[in-house]
Amino acid sequence: MVGEEYRRWEGDMEALYVYTAGVAGDRFFREIRDNERLMGTYCPECDVTYLPPRLYCETCFSELNEWEEIPNKGRVDAITVAYVDDKGERLARPKVLAMVRFLGANGGLIHVVDLPEEDVYRGMEVEVVYLPRGLRKGSFLDILHFKAI
Amino acid sequence: MRKVAVIGAGMTLFRRRLLETGKEMCFQAVQMALEEAGLELKDVDAVVSGSAPDAFDGVHMKGEYLLDGAGGVRKPYMRVFTGGGTACFSPIAGWWHVASGLADVVLVVNEEKMSSITPHPQYAFANIWDPILDRPLKPNLVWIFAMEMNRYMTVYGIEKADIARVAVKNKRNAVDHPAAQLADPNITVDDVLNSEVMAWPVQRLDISPPSDGASALVLASEDVARQVSETPVWISGVGWCIDSTMWTNRDLSFPEYLARAAQQAYGMAKIENPRKEVDVVEPYDPFDYKELHHLEGLLLADKGEAPILTREGVTQRDGELPTCPSGGLMGVGNPIAATMGIKTGEIYWQLAGKAGRRQVPGSPQVGVCQAWGDLMQFSSVMVMRA
Ligand SMILES: [Zn+2]
Repeated sequence: MVGEEYRRWEGDMEALYVYTAGVAGDRFFREIRDNERLMGTYCPECDVTYLPPRLYCETCFSELNEWEEIPNKGRVDAITVAYVDDKGERLARPKVLAMVRFLGANGGLIHVVDLPEEDVYRGMEVEVVYLPRGLRKGSFLDILHFKAI
Repeated sequence: MRKVAVIGAGMTLFRRRLLETGKEMCFQAVQMALEEAGLELKDVDAVVSGSAPDAFDGVHMKGEYLLDGAGGVRKPYMRVFTGGGTACFSPIAGWWHVASGLADVVLVVNEEKMSSITPHPQYAFANIWDPILDRPLKPNLVWIFAMEMNRYMTVYGIEKADIARVAVKNKRNAVDHPAAQLADPNITVDDVLNSEVMAWPVQRLDISPPSDGASALVLASEDVARQVSETPVWISGVGWCIDSTMWTNRDLSFPEYLARAAQQAYGMAKIENPRKEVDVVEPYDPFDYKELHHLEGLLLADKGEAPILTREGVTQRDGELPTCPSGGLMGVGNPIAATMGIKTGEIYWQLAGKAGRRQVPGSPQVGVCQAWGDLMQFSSVMVMRA
């Protein structure tokens, strides 16, 4: 049976959420907001630096207390160009997104690149551009975008 | 089947809101459990994750999200889910990994971060109902418990004061639990009876609080357990059972599904007379009356008898059948699946003689833990031996 005549009800599953940054995340975002720098946590046991930082090493399960500043210079590892937004609506201007890895860090960041699609390529050097100081709130969107070095 | 032991347990604080993310809470609980077991993550063969609805944390596919905090990266890993029943069901899933011979050491990690959903976890429960038959009435979760509690009281002629005694006992027991959120050394039956009415007969202090928290267990095969542990606690029976989803088709005065789960577990553990053989019990107590309901379902009290046993002090920590010596969900808190730490975890600590100020006297040899959940018609039961 297929049709518009079925008896039906509308409902929603709305709820608002408040997420905590966590122990490692709290420091990561404070460093971005206050000091405009990327910080990772280092596992001496495995010689790995996590970016974004974690409270623990996923491999050996040590608690990580050593913080390291990650130099603001990364390389584009993967690229996509989005033409629709998170609701499936057409974007007025396509959005270029890149996964960027940083020297000396395990992991990386995914964010928008402030360049036209044709100018972004795998391996290109980029840096993080932050929002101006007064506008930063200690969230991931304190990072405005990546730009070419 | 191979013998399986619990050789370590750990749990975080239970609090209304913790800074730690769900992953970080898992990590902390696992670290404690591994430390107690004298093992490291590299010794772990497989990981079982347990968590109630994704809607609390606000992360869909929470099992995947929690993976690295639970220690599951690059290992066989699975999430199990039976709502609140997960508290004792994920240990059963851990047990079958080892009993079957698939793994020698298994981590079981349960987590709930209920503070994410706002303004109250009630908003997640609003969506568990049948959208056509139940939701038009805009039910609050407490309603169903109120119906069940009312039916239980009516069928057996139980006074509210005798139910309130459970809240008093557990909140007082929780004073000795280092993770407790709602311990109260001075609470009285009158405090419970005078608290705000939610849906008669359920009042504010009849209910456990929502919490953030995580807990972990290390399970091991007999070979490993005897090598690394002085005090292994053996899992000697497991059982679980679920009744009809339609709550109008269930007997609200007696949890028949639990009696079936308990009989399965007692059968496997060769327990013939549970009332005589069980030394300590941790029934699931998200509401005070549920402890009573569950003692009867576990066949540790006759129908309608549990309130009398409570009034007579039998269920106190130094009574004949110590019940919720941890302080239970009523006193320690209710981060749903993570209450494993005060159910299976507590029975492990009690039988291993490691319960500290909560230790019940007389070196108990046989313990039972139980959890309850899904759509309020599921139970998981585990029998453990020192
Ligand atoms: Zn490491």
